[in-house]
Amino acid sequence: MPPRQPAPRKSKARTTAATDAADAGGRQYASTDDPRIMLDRQVGNLYEPIPPYPPRTEREGEFYTLGDGEMFLNLGPHHPATHGVLRLVLKLSGEQVVDVDPVLGYLHRGVEKICENSDYYHVLDQVDPLEYLSSLFQEWAAVLSFEKLVDVQVPRRAEYIRVLSGELLRIASHTLYMGFLALDLGGLAPILYSFIERDEIVEMLAALTGARMLFNYYRIGGVNGDLNHEFMSRLGDWMSRAAGQTEANATLLNENEIFVRRTRGVGVLDRATALQFGVTGGNLRASGVPFDVRRAHPYSIYPELEFNVPTRDEGDSLARYLIRVDEIRESIKIIDQCLNNMPDGPVMAKLPRLIRPRPGRSWGAVEGPRGMMGVYSISDGSDQPFRFRIHDPSFVNLQTVPALLPGNLLADTMAIVASLDPVLGGIDK
Amino acid sequence: MRAGIGLAASYPFRLWTRLTVRQRLGMIVIPASVVAALITVLVIVLAGPPFLDFLNANLPLVRFAVAATAILMLTIPTAFVLIYVELKVIARMNLRVGPNRVGPWGMAMSVIHGLKVLSKEDFTPTGTDVTVFTLAPVVTYMASVMTLLVIPFAPGLVGQDLNIGLLYFFAMGGLTVLGLLMAGWSSFNKYSLLGGLRSAAQIISYEIPLTLSVVGVIILASTKTAETLSLNHIVLVQSGSMLDWFVFKQPLAFLIFFIAATAEANRTPFDMTEADSEIVAGFATEYSGMRFGFFFFAEYVNVFIVSALAATIFFGGWTAPFDWPWSYNLNWLHPGSLGLLWIGIVPTVLLFGSFFFAFFVRIFGGRAWGVWESMGLGLILLLVALGGLVGLAGFIAFDWVQGLTWFMVKTYFFVIVFVWMRATLPRVRVDQLMGFAWKWLLPASLLNLFVTATAVVLLNR
Repeated sequence: MPPRQPAPRKSKARTTAATDAADAGGRQYASTDDPRIMLDRQVGNLYEPIPPYPPRTEREGEFYTLGDGEMFLNLGPHHPATHGVLRLVLKLSGEQVVDVDPVLGYLHRGVEKICENSDYYHVLDQVDPLEYLSSLFQEWAAVLSFEKLVDVQVPRRAEYIRVLSGELLRIASHTLYMGFLALDLGGLAPILYSFIERDEIVEMLAALTGARMLFNYYRIGGVNGDLNHEFMSRLGDWMSRAAGQTEANATLLNENEIFVRRTRGVGVLDRATALQFGVTGGNLRASGVPFDVRRAHPYSIYPELEFNVPTRDEGDSLARYLIRVDEIRESIKIIDQCLNNMPDGPVMAKLPRLIRPRPGRSWGAVEGPRGMMGVYSISDGSDQPFRFRIHDPSFVNLQTVPALLPGNLLADTMAIVASLDPVLGGIDK
Repeated sequence: MRAGIGLAASYPFRLWTRLTVRQRLGMIVIPASVVAALITVLVIVLAGPPFLDFLNANLPLVRFAVAATAILMLTIPTAFVLIYVELKVIARMNLRVGPNRVGPWGMAMSVIHGLKVLSKEDFTPTGTDVTVFTLAPVVTYMASVMTLLVIPFAPGLVGQDLNIGLLYFFAMGGLTVLGLLMAGWSSFNKYSLLGGLRSAAQIISYEIPLTLSVVGVIILASTKTAETLSLNHIVLVQSGSMLDWFVFKQPLAFLIFFIAATAEANRTPFDMTEADSEIVAGFATEYSGMRFGFFFFAEYVNVFIVSALAATIFFGGWTAPFDWPWSYNLNWLHPGSLGLLWIGIVPTVLLFGSFFFAFFVRIFGGRAWGVWESMGLGLILLLVALGGLVGLAGFIAFDWVQGLTWFMVKTYFFVIVFVWMRATLPRVRVDQLMGFAWKWLLPASLLNLFVTATAVVLLNR
């Protein structure tokens, strides 16, 4: 079947049947008064998510050609379940997904280019809002990369504080993930319990850093400000019931038959495909690969800490969800160890006001809640990075959606996309 | 230039200009009401007897018209109460406060919802099939409302005691799907279409176990006296004590009925038709204003109806759960026996009752409550207390008040269960939904029917 040529759009509506027939590429339609057919004939495919230009690639031409009994469904960018401004053009046969075309870029800001025009300290402000649910990790990756360029020794207390605040934010992000997965499957309650839990952590971090979402706390060579009394008292208060609260929130979903049946065996990402796509984080560990940046390429004080890397072999949505629950438990263990072993000392290394690293290149990567957050920067000796590239885990994980969706039902689209945990701020950069 | 000089200079006009607005209104309203009263009296005297004769001649028709109108009027407050209950209960289960701004404890919230829906633009998108699009909410709403006609609220308080009541109920309830399908098709929106098709598949599948689960009850109800589908008869068969309720004789049937009824009412976990995280709002995506309001109300009326039917068929309807001292004689309290003393009693009770309650308001409220404020609040509290006393007296004296109370208690119990399920459960998938209906519910209901019928035949032979 040749690629479908979309009908040209007309600037103004015509009314007579003769001109319609002439405009529609000489094709003859049966005379009818049905307004939909008339409208479609007058203005082209106004009500279909088909781009108004001829297909640019073979894949595009193939995708925008409808088979027998198929239809397009434009899911997003404004849809209750697409986690921001993700747009998925689904090709449906009944309710079954035949093919999918993700359309990205509704939130593109050109952050990498902006970073190349900022000096090293200001880069940290720019990368903050990328993954707005876990902004500390994006700062951490950039800071790690720059510290390798500058070759500065970070004080041990600063490292402990970084791990402490990072693991707290990981718990907040995973808790929210649990709630949103349930919400996309139609459960109303878990998201509100999740937000209560997350709000406590975020308020705690606000006491430490001064902001609730975009913390801007990590600095090249340390962190901005030592632990304070309010943070510690909130943290102690929360830690006394964190484990129990996590179990309670998880039980609400784990033992729910409907939830388990909706997610088990749905969107199975096998080990080879996951590695092929470069998936990282919990999504990869749910497919049976025990890859965790904290263990595989250790940074900060993680080699000194005791924690497990939970893995599962199923690779389905349920496994991805259960991995997150396990990671929350591990993070609580890590926080406990940080609090026990927290050393005294400064939290910032001595650095000049304006950094001009030696020419060179460096790669800094941390294990974020969604996978490996990486920053690759090249210095040319000036006070701005010559090149600055961000490896965003959500972007890589979202690539698997076209491989996972076909064959599933429309309702499973939400179970799969939500279980991959994309954050559109990072994907669109 | 002064054309109206003759009128303006006349005496009546000058008198008119000297009156205040209130006096002018009085000058219009009082004579007008006198005239209206005279005309009314004249109409009643002249046209009353033939009209009464006409009514008497067509009594069944009149009775139907009155019942239908009353039920139509009943649905709006019912929907308001249900919306409020759902908002508040779900909020509490989610650790939220819920509506608390409009009225005491936010009770007027659903009224405000209704006003909002009324004041919104009534929008018809391009490309819709306008006739079908307009009719769809009406069909849905009327189909839900008209099922209420056969439900016995209390002894003697039933719209139409049809001898095919249950059949009528399921036939009318089945019409709901037509409205949803019309909405889904005419909206010119793929989400609406998916929602409409889902609703058609779902409701038609669940009609079968729903109806079959009730057949066992019908068999049991028909063994004793009459063979009838009348809901009133089914209630009367269950009267006595709690153990006569059909839920204890047909537990499996009740389970099937409840699950299928949840699907019929499009409630979580079977709210496929308006799954907001999948197909936005389903069949109602393109609707706005009061048309959406009709769908909205129909949903809540459906919940009420399904709960009422569950209470009627399986939980004894308006009968008391135990042997209640039925209709105690309260004739000594008859208002007419006091005669002219009422003239003195009413103001005395109001005045001193207000004083009594105002006293407590002043004690517990402190100085924040002034004299007149506390008197006003005292009057309100007095009226509430008197209302409670009158209700209690009615409950003791009249069996229909008792019946209505028990009926509402049972119905709202199920309403709360529906709300509870909505706050707790995620949504099932379409294929799981259909598979459950055909693979589990249908065989189970057939088994139940078989066992019931066999037992009845063997024991009654």
